[in-house]
Amino acid sequence: MISNAHLRPAWLGVSLYSVIALAALVALLSYASPSSWGSFFSDPYTWRVVRFSFMQASLSALLSILLAIPMASCLFHRRFWGRQTLLSLFAISMVVPTIVAILGIVVVYGRNGWFTALFGQPFPLYGLGGILIAHVFFNMPLAVRIILQAYDLIPDAQWRLASQLGFSRWRVFQLVEWHYLKKNLPGLFLLIFMLCFSGFAVVLSLGGGPRSSTLEVAIYQALRFEFDLNKASYLSLLQVVICSVVALAVYRFAPPVRQDVSLYQGGRLPLRSSKWTSGLDYGVLSVVLLWVLPPFVAILSPVFTELFWLSLLDSQLWRGLWHSVRIALPSGVLALLMGLSIAAIARAWRWHPRRNRWAVRLEQSGNLVLMVPSLVLATGLFLLFRHLGVSIKHAYWIVVWVNAVMALPFVLRAIMPVMYQQEKRFRQLYQQMNIVGWSRLRIEWRTIRPALAQGLAYAVLLSLGDLGVVALFGSKGLETLPMYLYQLIGSYRVEQGACVAVVLIGLCLVLFYGITRLLGGRRAVV
Amino acid sequence: MSFKSFALSATALLSCSLVSAQTLNVYTYDSFASEWGPGPKIKANFEAECGCELNFVTLDSSVGILSRVQLEGDASEADVLLGLDLNVMEAAKKSGLLAKHSVDTSAVTTPGGWDDSYFVPFDQGYFAFIYDSEKLDNPPASLKDVVENQDLKVIYQDPRTSTPGLGLLLWMKSVYGDQAADAWAKLADHTVTVTKGWYDGYSLFLKGEADVVLSYTTSPAYHIVAEGEHKYKAAESSEGFYPQIEVAAMLESAPNKALAEQFMQFILEPGFQNVVATGNWMYPVMENVNPLPEAFTSQPQPTKVLTLDAEQVAQNRQAWVNEWLEATTR
Repeated sequence: MISNAHLRPAWLGVSLYSVIALAALVALLSYASPSSWGSFFSDPYTWRVVRFSFMQASLSALLSILLAIPMASCLFHRRFWGRQTLLSLFAISMVVPTIVAILGIVVVYGRNGWFTALFGQPFPLYGLGGILIAHVFFNMPLAVRIILQAYDLIPDAQWRLASQLGFSRWRVFQLVEWHYLKKNLPGLFLLIFMLCFSGFAVVLSLGGGPRSSTLEVAIYQALRFEFDLNKASYLSLLQVVICSVVALAVYRFAPPVRQDVSLYQGGRLPLRSSKWTSGLDYGVLSVVLLWVLPPFVAILSPVFTELFWLSLLDSQLWRGLWHSVRIALPSGVLALLMGLSIAAIARAWRWHPRRNRWAVRLEQSGNLVLMVPSLVLATGLFLLFRHLGVSIKHAYWIVVWVNAVMALPFVLRAIMPVMYQQEKRFRQLYQQMNIVGWSRLRIEWRTIRPALAQGLAYAVLLSLGDLGVVALFGSKGLETLPMYLYQLIGSYRVEQGACVAVVLIGLCLVLFYGITRLLGGRRAVV
Repeated sequence: MSFKSFALSATALLSCSLVSAQTLNVYTYDSFASEWGPGPKIKANFEAECGCELNFVTLDSSVGILSRVQLEGDASEADVLLGLDLNVMEAAKKSGLLAKHSVDTSAVTTPGGWDDSYFVPFDQGYFAFIYDSEKLDNPPASLKDVVENQDLKVIYQDPRTSTPGLGLLLWMKSVYGDQAADAWAKLADHTVTVTKGWYDGYSLFLKGEADVVLSYTTSPAYHIVAEGEHKYKAAESSEGFYPQIEVAAMLESAPNKALAEQFMQFILEPGFQNVVATGNWMYPVMENVNPLPEAFTSQPQPTKVLTLDAEQVAQNRQAWVNEWLEATTR
C-alpha cells in the first residue's frame, strides 16, 4: 500500500504551486463585478480576436508538430555532422527574446531581407504568414526535443526485433514509434497552442494590423492603460475558459496513457532504409534547417562586429547577467521540485483503482498556469501581497517563485513520461519490499536523471528569458539581462541590444549544456 | 556568528536606516534611469544640492509607472513619479494618489503655457513620422500625405499599448475630426504593421521594413549626435504637430514629502533641464538652459501645435480607440 505520509513533501510542493496560481487569480477576481460583464461579452471585436487567436494558435501548434515528428525521427535514426549543435540550438530557440527573434526573421524575410535578395520579390511577411514563421521558429524545436525524449523510452528489445524482422523505417514508425509518440502529442499540442494563443508581441509586430491580435493585448490594455481590474479579470477568465475547453477537447480524443516497461541501453540496430525514407529525411531536414537556421544566423551575426566585443566591456551587461542567473537558477530548482512533487503524487494515483482519474487532472493542472497571462499572475500576486501587508522589497523571492510556477508546464512535459514509466517498472518491487519516498528516487536515479536535467534546464532558461514578471516588480537588484536588452532597444541602441541578445543566447547555451551534463550525466541528450 | 561580525552587521543595519531616512524614491521608466539616459546626471546634480540620496526605481514604461503605484496604493514607497505623459494625466489624477505641488510653472515653455496644480512638465517633443532621406525622394509634407499616399509603407504603434500610438490617435483626431475613421481606413491599406511598442516599430523601420515610422521630431537628433548619421529626417506636417509632454508628480503618501517638494522645484532648474536634450532626446521646457546642439535646432519646428483638451481626451479615448479598431479591421 502507498503510505500517504511519504507523500507529504510532495504535497508541500503541489501546494506551493497551487497557492500561487489560485491566490493570484482569486486576488484579481475579487475586483471583478460580473454584472458588468454583459457588455464586454457582447463586444464583437473580442470574439473576432478569439477566433483569429484560435486559428493561428492551432495552425502554429499543428505545423510545429507535423514538422517535429519526422524531424525527431530523422535525428533519432541518423547521425550526421552538426547534429549536436542543432540539438543545442533547438533547446534555446524558445528563450530568444521576442524582439530579437522578430528582427532576425525580418533580416531573413523582410523587405530588404535575404529572401528578397534570393527570389527577387519580398515574402508576404506581415499577416498570418509572419506569425506562423515566428511561432514555428519558437516552438517546433521545443517539440522536436520533447518528441525525441519519447523516442528514448522505446525499449531496446523493440528495435532489436524490428531489425531482425527487417522492418523498414516506415513500418517501424507505424508499428513501434507512433505507439510511443502519440501519447505525448496531446500535451505537446496544448503547450504550443497555449503559448501561441496568449503571447502577443509577435502577433502585433508581424500581424500587419489590429486584425491580428490576441486576448492578451486587451488584458494588457485593461491592466496597464486603464487600470480596469474588472475588465482584466473578465478577459483572463475568458482566456482560461477557452484554453480549458480546448484542453478538454484535446484530451477527450487523446489515447489513454499506458506506459510500457522498458530497460533501455540506447544501443540501436540498423533499420532498412528505402529511397522514400531517405528522401523524406533529407526533405524534412532541409525544411527545418531553412526555417530555423537563417534567423539564428541573423541573430548571432553581431559576433562579427567590433561593437559586440566592445559591449562585452560594459559593466552593466555583466551585472544584468549576474542578476539573471541569480533569479534563474533558484527558480529552475524550485520548478523542478514542484514538478517532482506533482509527478510523485500523480504516479502514486495512476495505478490506484479509485484515484486513477485524478492523476491526469493533477498533471493537467500544471498546465493551467499557462492559461493565465503572466501579467495577470504577477498583478494578482502584487495585490495579494499588498493585502497581506508584505512589502515588495522582497520582490526577489516573488519573482523566483512566479518564474518557477510559469516554467512548471515545461518541466512536467519533460519528466512525466519517464516518471510514469519507472513507477510501472518498479511498482511491484516497491510494494513487496516496502520501498518508499526518497529511496525510490535513488533506485531510479540513473534512468530519470536525463529527464530531470532537461526539465531543470528548460525551467532555468525560461526564467532567464522572462520579462513580464520582473518588469512589473521592477526594483533594484532585479535588472536582468533581457531588461537591459529592452532598455537598450528602447533608447535607439538596437545594434547594442542585438549584442546583448547574443550574450544572452550564449549564456543559455552554457547553462543548458552545463545542467544537462552535470545533472543528466553522459547519457543525456544535449 | 561572532560578536564582531554581529556588531558590524548591526552598525551596517543602523547606517542603512539612517541613510534611508534621507532617500528620495523616484519611479521612472527604464531608459530614463539608464546609464546613457539623463538619470545619472540628474541624480548627481540633485544629490549635490540636497545632501540626500536619490533612488530611481525603474519600471518598463511610462504607463508602467502609473499602474505600479495604482497597484501599491497608499503603501507605495514612491515619493515622485517621473515620466507620465499628457495623456495619462487625467487617469493619474483620478486615482486620488497625487499631491498638489507648489512649483511656479509660469516660465514653462510648453505650447500655451502650463497651469496644473498636480503636474510639473519636465521635457517636451512632438510626434512625427521619420524617414530615411537616402531612400525616400518624395517625403510626406503633411499628415494627409502620410495617410493618402498609398505607395508609402507605414509602421506605427498600437494606441492600446503604447504612448506614441495614442499620440497618433489624438493627432489624427485633431486633424480629421469626424472624418478620422475614413482616414484610418485609408492608412490601413498601406500600413505594414502596427507594433506593440515604440521600440519594435522603430527597430523594424531601421531594418528597412517601412518608408516612415511614427516617432518623435527629435529622433533624427539622436542619430546625428550619437552616431553621426544624417540620413534620418522627420517629415514636415503642414497641419501642425501633436505634442508629447512628459510630466512629474508627487504622491500624497510620499514618505519624504519635503524632499519630494524640493525635487519638484529642481525639475525646472538648469541642473535638470540641461540634461534632458541629449539624455532623453527631448526638448527642455525652460529657457534658462545651455544652447541646444545644432542637431536639435535644425529639426522641423512646428509652426502650429495641435492639442486636444485633456478632459475631452480622457472621456473619449476609449471611443476613439474603438473607432480606430473598427476602421482598421473593416
